[in-house]
Amino acid sequence: MSTENKQLLSKKAIRRAYWDWMFWNLSVQNFERMEGPGIVKMLADVREELYPNDVKAQQEMMQRHTIFFNTEPFLGCIVPGIVLGMEAEKARGGDVSEEFINAIKTALMGPFAGIGDSLLPGTLCPILLSIAMGLSKNGEITGPLFYIFVFLGIMLPLTWFLFNYGCKAGANAAQMVLANGIKDKVTKAAEIIGLVVVGAVTASYAKVNIGFVYASGKMKIDLNSIINSILPGLPVLLTAFLGYYLMVKKKWSVNRMMLFFLIVAIIGYVTTILAV
Amino acid sequence: MSLIQALLLGLFGWMSSIYSPVLISGLGGWYTLGRPLVSGMVIGIILGDVKTGIILGAAVQALYIGLVTPGGTMPADVNYAAWIGIPLAMVAGAGKEYALALAVPLSFLGVAAVYSTVAINLYFVHRQDHLIDEGKLAQAARIPMVGQITNFVFRFTPIFLINFLGADVVTEIVKVIPQWFTDILQIFASMLPIVGFTLLLKMIVKSNFDLLFFVFGFIMVSVGGLSMIPIVIVASVLAYIDFKYSKDKEAA
Repeated sequence: MSTENKQLLSKKAIRRAYWDWMFWNLSVQNFERMEGPGIVKMLADVREELYPNDVKAQQEMMQRHTIFFNTEPFLGCIVPGIVLGMEAEKARGGDVSEEFINAIKTALMGPFAGIGDSLLPGTLCPILLSIAMGLSKNGEITGPLFYIFVFLGIMLPLTWFLFNYGCKAGANAAQMVLANGIKDKVTKAAEIIGLVVVGAVTASYAKVNIGFVYASGKMKIDLNSIINSILPGLPVLLTAFLGYYLMVKKKWSVNRMMLFFLIVAIIGYVTTILAV
Repeated sequence: MSLIQALLLGLFGWMSSIYSPVLISGLGGWYTLGRPLVSGMVIGIILGDVKTGIILGAAVQALYIGLVTPGGTMPADVNYAAWIGIPLAMVAGAGKEYALALAVPLSFLGVAAVYSTVAINLYFVHRQDHLIDEGKLAQAARIPMVGQITNFVFRFTPIFLINFLGADVVTEIVKVIPQWFTDILQIFASMLPIVGFTLLLKMIVKSNFDLLFFVFGFIMVSVGGLSMIPIVIVASVLAYIDFKYSKDKEAA
């Protein structure tokens, strides 16, 4: 047993595996195994490093990963990192069984899919996009450029760190991330920024104009200006609350909500209650 | 629309689709170039009108901002919506209401493409199994590269063809559409961002009182007329206060 070498994997091998996962995780997405082939590819590309000149062992390693795997690929990249770390330990003669590797892998993919989806497409992307949309209200190029640089500036170092951390700390790494209270607090703070920003973008992007004008002789009542003098944008705000009530409390689907607004638009236009 | 422009749209549309690996998969692709706001910028560059591209992109973005695509289930496909809806509306010289009117049905068509891709890819999964069993390990490792062909076909081909062949058709249709139809579409399109933002609120709001933050942000624009950067700063202060307060509470 070659335990004299503390470093289980060379930096080069970890880098190779990281980029492998980053590029190919969803490339052959499929009903049966989802990201499974991506894991196989990642391990296959460092197989010489793990089992030098031992084709039989390399083949066995690849075979044991031809199973279902699915997680959020980026914040969840800690899981393939952990898999790589465990495989390296096994290859160096550590007491790691095949069942153990797959049990850990399968146990972690669910929680990290949940965390990843709620933090990445559920929080980070929409908040940055809302800010970007606010910057591009009149088609300015600043919005998309802001999004590209900030998003990649956060995600590239973060995924590199998570993958390495998973690889080095092994299965314990997951505990650290899953049980740490700091995540909840950062999420809470991000959500407050998100709520304020989404409110701001709603005000600049959504529009509901009341077209109804009551005229009797010389008297003319312009409902739109009256309502907006109470609070500018009040019709939009009330429509947003109605949408919130129907979609969140009444659990309406997106398509039903869109159909509802289409009907409102048609009726509103015909009765001249709503205007362009 | 020229052949080159349609080809470029197909190419970039493919690169920004959810299963495309080329731009560090989702990092530079689906979650960056694939966001309609960023797609709009690139479409604008290809078609020679960046400003309009971004305006149309932002409109489509607003509708889909709350869309999360977990574990292979796809409620709507933003890829076709952005890469076909935005360019067609643009060449027709139509406003964002037409980009949205095209985007919504296209997003359903895109879902069919996703399901076809993940079904056909089963072939490559089993091919990988066989190659490993036969000891052809290097070939097995290349399966994610080879299997990308399915996604390429289902993204590049429709985006390229519909843009190239559809541009004139859509332009003609938009010309003969009566004003009342455009007006209704515009009223409808102005309400649509609410659907996208509500979907987002659904994920973020934990208690009804959280909506006060939403109202606060709303008022900063509608009453205060502030732009985005000062709003983000104010929001960060609020978040910091909350962060500090909840930490103290825990220590006590």
